[in-house]
Amino acid sequence: MSATDLQAASRWVDDHGECLYRYALVRVRKPEVAEDLMQETFLAAVRGYEKFGGRSSERSWLVGILKNKIVDHFRKVGREKSFTDIEFLSDEFSEKFVPIGFWNHDLGPHEWKPEPDEVVHRAEFWQVMRDCLSKLPEKIRAVFTMREMDGVPSKEVCAILSISDSNLWVMLHRARMALRECLEMNWFDTPAGGTA
Amino acid sequence: MPEEPYNPSPIGNPSVLARRNWWQTILVKFIGKHTPKCREMVRILSQSMDEPLPLIMRIKKRLHFLICCWCQRYEEQLRYMRRTARQFPEHADEASDVPFSIEMRERIKRKLAETPR
Repeated sequence: MSATDLQAASRWVDDHGECLYRYALVRVRKPEVAEDLMQETFLAAVRGYEKFGGRSSERSWLVGILKNKIVDHFRKVGREKSFTDIEFLSDEFSEKFVPIGFWNHDLGPHEWKPEPDEVVHRAEFWQVMRDCLSKLPEKIRAVFTMREMDGVPSKEVCAILSISDSNLWVMLHRARMALRECLEMNWFDTPAGGTA
Repeated sequence: MPEEPYNPSPIGNPSVLARRNWWQTILVKFIGKHTPKCREMVRILSQSMDEPLPLIMRIKKRLHFLICCWCQRYEEQLRYMRRTARQFPEHADEASDVPFSIEMRERIKRKLAETPR
């Protein structure tokens, strides 16, 4: 690696290392795996710097590389262990619905006031989001984050994790239901969230 | 007259159609009968985030939303969660206080220096 490359990589580690490490850790849970993924990310960034071109911020570019590395990691893990057995996740919130299938109006979704542009500036919101994600069972979290955070197309998620379309939809449905409920309880219905 | 088992549109329902008069009542009952129930609708709404719904289901969804502000909210919140989840990675440093130690920082820099291009 040339001295200039090394200098750039060193600066990225200082400026964005914390963000990348914490994101990788949310996704893979194991510190040593998160560190390896960061390592690979910075290396790939040095190799591909010429293609960067400054169209996005440096952090977005590095996060984009890390996302690909995480997907590769899950591709490998998906081959090694089965993702097909759907983990049990409560009972799909059956208490939310009356027996004939309509919402129980007292327990239906509340109105959420703040717009995304407002919450992105609040560190507390991201902490709640992380806590809510961490409550999801491992496989369901992996599927949800790959689809919703990384924006991987659903067909590709199925291929990476060797699961069927219907398994994917069930897992995503359960994840969305649980995450929505958790965000509402811990953010939107609290004074910090603004609707309480 | 036997009592209805459940009223899908009680007093105070903020939905567009809410049995505020006789014709709304007829419409609400008709739509409630011919569109998926909410428990099924939330599953369909989640699926619609991953693949387009058939035209007939899109029409049923729109009709259902007229009598059910809760399902409409649910869909808006699914989209909201997607928008915010996409922004999470760039805010991961704010989401957690897991230390990114100086040792780890230096270890990564060292490995980068040792790796041939």
